[in-house]
Order: sequence, then structure tokens, then C-alpha cells
Amino acid sequence: MTRLRLGFVALNDAAALIAAGAKGFFAAEGLEVDLVREVSWATIRDKVDVGALHGAHMLAPMALAATAGAELRPLVAPMALNLNGPAVTLSSRLAGVIDPAASAQGLAALIARRRDEGASGITLAVVFPHSTHNYLLRDWLSRAGIDPDRDVRINVAPPARMTELLVSGVVEGICVTEPWGAAAVTAGAGRTAVRASQLWPRTPDKVLALAEAWAAENPEVVQALVRAILRGAAWAERNRPELAALLSEPAYVAAPAAVIAPSLEDMIFHAGEANAPDPAHAAWLLAQMVRWNHLPVGVDAAAIAARVYRPDLYRAARDSLAAG
Amino acid sequence: MRVLVVDPDPARAALVAEGLAGVEPLQVRHAPAFDQVEAAAFGPDVIVVASDSPDRDTIESLREATAANPRPVVMFVDRSEPGLAEAAVHAGVSAYVVDGLSAARVRSVLEVAMSRFGLMNGLRQDLEKAKADLASRKTVDRAKALLMKERGLDEDAAYKLLRKLSMDTGRPLGAVAADLLAFAGVLKGGGA
Repeated sequence: MTRLRLGFVALNDAAALIAAGAKGFFAAEGLEVDLVREVSWATIRDKVDVGALHGAHMLAPMALAATAGAELRPLVAPMALNLNGPAVTLSSRLAGVIDPAASAQGLAALIARRRDEGASGITLAVVFPHSTHNYLLRDWLSRAGIDPDRDVRINVAPPARMTELLVSGVVEGICVTEPWGAAAVTAGAGRTAVRASQLWPRTPDKVLALAEAWAAENPEVVQALVRAILRGAAWAERNRPELAALLSEPAYVAAPAAVIAPSLEDMIFHAGEANAPDPAHAAWLLAQMVRWNHLPVGVDAAAIAARVYRPDLYRAARDSLAAG
Repeated sequence: MRVLVVDPDPARAALVAEGLAGVEPLQVRHAPAFDQVEAAAFGPDVIVVASDSPDRDTIESLREATAANPRPVVMFVDRSEPGLAEAAVHAGVSAYVVDGLSAARVRSVLEVAMSRFGLMNGLRQDLEKAKADLASRKTVDRAKALLMKERGLDEDAAYKLLRKLSMDTGRPLGAVAADLLAFAGVLKGGGA
């Protein structure tokens, strides 16, 4: 048995990892995996960096940013863990101005009116600077002519604290992956304004991230790991009600199954090659990072995309599963 | 120098504060959660964050100066000290620096925090082990009492029998005793 430690954050899109453990797919590959729940993305990143974790459920832009910067060891993403899942949830007051087409036009008008009245600005929250959530929210606001750096304030808050921030009025909107958007709605804190899948169909979100050097030294372990997680993803795709119950357990997402179940609806865990680390996704996320000055100047984005996103590792695992 | 310790564990934060008090003249404040307004009012030079604080990503994001955050915050990573960054991650602590404080001063704060986090982890592990040992001893005592009653053995003979079972099966004495009690419970048709 090869013993591995993998990190995750309490979110629906950790499903493939959690299912691989609970359904025995790791064990079937000769892997003994400790799933370690972390409460911050920075800690996930640092632990993978120093080898305290062998790999982790990670924000795709975080893996790209770590590799593009000079401070951290490069990472590889041999598979994506999900598509779709992030949603923008606004306080009931703000949600009232969102039109049926889910554009932010009404919000733009509200911001202009508040500015004219000298009222305080709008504060929103995302889960991390380098995240699909930040880029999604910024893109949605920009499409309606709102400058995300000048017209609103965007804070960072941990997923599990989003509901509390929205209820208390500290922020008036959040962009977070399910089930935390649904949890905020259930708590009466607000309404879903727009889902990632409406703006960017098949939204890239989390990947499995491994240290590049470790992955190069342990090719067979990487293949076994990706195969097990692919089986976990396939199971998650087909067994939604049971998945909701599994995720709701205290050791995993720890939210009520009744909240999780409907929030899984538009999330894709496996179908349609969802787990392929698509270089087009990496290029698109990197373009967003360039757009918002989140990449060091002079970085070769295409080279970073090719270095981090490794469809070759994915295909080898997928093909060996199909052959078996 | 002002140090803000953001740690959901008050006992551990107190230990860090006590350690820092001896290092140099400074002001230390503990916050179980990070509040940007409170933090700005205190004006820390260094923020020490536990890796099990959910607020770490919020602190990490304060890299850019804004009206609400006039003093940018950067994570303190000292590559001149080999192994320091790794040791801090393993200890479960990180330091963020506000403005350009000298690396040596920040390092001394981080080193105290790391050693105190290590001390706390050690204490917690010792406590867990002591609890487990105590529970195991109680289980063994109950299993001994059961054997004395059911088999008419004296205490020494009951203990020897348990130890033999433990050695034969290669399992800890406490586990063998727990099995015996559970088995007796099943035979009686009730809980152990």
C-alpha cells in the first residue's frame, strides 16, 4: 500500500476525492489515502508546496498562479475535478434589481444611484484572489459596465463564512461554489443572481494539483491516483442522492443533505470528458489573470498552461481504466 | 512592534503571546477571528495566523493598498533561512508582514510562534495519549473483574490470561479487554 495525504476544502466539488475514498477506489489501486480537510486555500497551497500534502483539491487559477510565480514550486493538474458550481448570490435587496436575463445592468443602475446619493458602496466577497469566482464575478460586473476595482469592493472570505457575512450585511453579495450559495439562500440571506453555467457553460473550477517534481518521480502512483479519482468522479456523476448524503457527513462538507442535493444539479463531475484538464480552460483562466493584473509581467501564459495542465497524464489513466 | 495573533485556539494564542513577551518590547493582541476594522485600529506590524484559522485567505488577500486597507500585507517567506518556510507550514503557522519590517525581527516572532505551536501540539498529543491510556486501563480493569467473576480467577491470574490473549493475537491489551467485554455483552443479550 502506498500512503498518501490529500487536502480538500469543504465544497461539493471535492466529491470525486471523497467518493474515491468512501467507495474503496483508492484501496483498489493500492493506495491508502488520508483526506485532510483544510479551512483555507493558502494552507492547501503551502502544504502541497512543502510536501506536507501529496496533492489537493485546488482552485485551478491557484495552481496556475503558483507555477507562474517565482516563490513556489511548480504544480501539475493531471485532471479537473468538476465543471460548473460557482454562483453569485446577492442580498434580497440587491437581487431585486436583477433582470430575468441575469445581467448586472440593474446592479449598475443601483450603484450609480447610490453614488449620486452619497450612499456607501457595495461590498462583495469571493473565496480567493486567484479563483474562478473572482474572475467570474468581475466578468459579470464588467459586462454591465461596472468596474470591479472602482465601482465595488471585492473582499475575500472563506466559503463556510459566506452565509454569516451576507446575513449580517457585512457584504451584499458572494460568489462561492455550492453548497455555500444554496446554504445562504436556505438561510434566507439572499437569492441566486447568476450561476457560472449561465455565463460560461462548462465553467472550469477545481483541479487535482500535485507538485510537479513529485509527480515526475512517481509516475505510477500518479496514474493509480488519477484512475481512483476518475472512478470517484464517475460514481459521483451517477449517484447524486447518495452523493448528497455522503458529502453531508461531518468529516466532509458538513452541510445538510437537503441543501446539498439540489445544489449538485448543474454541477458536472465526470460526464462529457469533464475531468480532462483542457488547455483551452487554462488559457482562458490565464487570460482573465492577465486582464486583472494577477500575473507577473512578462509571463509566457501559453507555456504556463502547457506546463500545469497535463491532458497526457489524464488520457493515460482514462485509457488504462477503459482497457481494464 | 505590534503583533496580532489570529488563532481560533485561545490557549495556543496565549502560549504564543507569553513566548513573545520575553523576546523584545512589543504589544501582542489575540483575535479568534480576523476583523479588518479592528485590525486596522490596532495597526499590527506582524500578523501571525494559525493554519487552521479560516480567515487566512482574507489576510492573504490584503496585498494591495486600498482606501480601506492603506497598509498592504505580504506573507513573510524567508528563503535566506533554509527550511524555515517548510518548518512553519509543518508547525501550522504563518506570518504576514505589514510594511517593510526587518526580516530578522519578523523571523524572531515567527520562530517563537512556531516553537509555541509545536509545544501546544505536543501537549495536545500527550493529553490524547493520557486519555487513551486511562480509558484502556479502565477497560482492562473491567475485563479483569469479569474474568474473576465468571471464571473464579484471582486478580493476578485474570491479568495473566488477558496478557496471554494479547500476546497470542498480537493486539494491544486494551483492545483484547474491550473485545472480551463486548463479547460478554452479546452473550448476555444486552450492551457491554
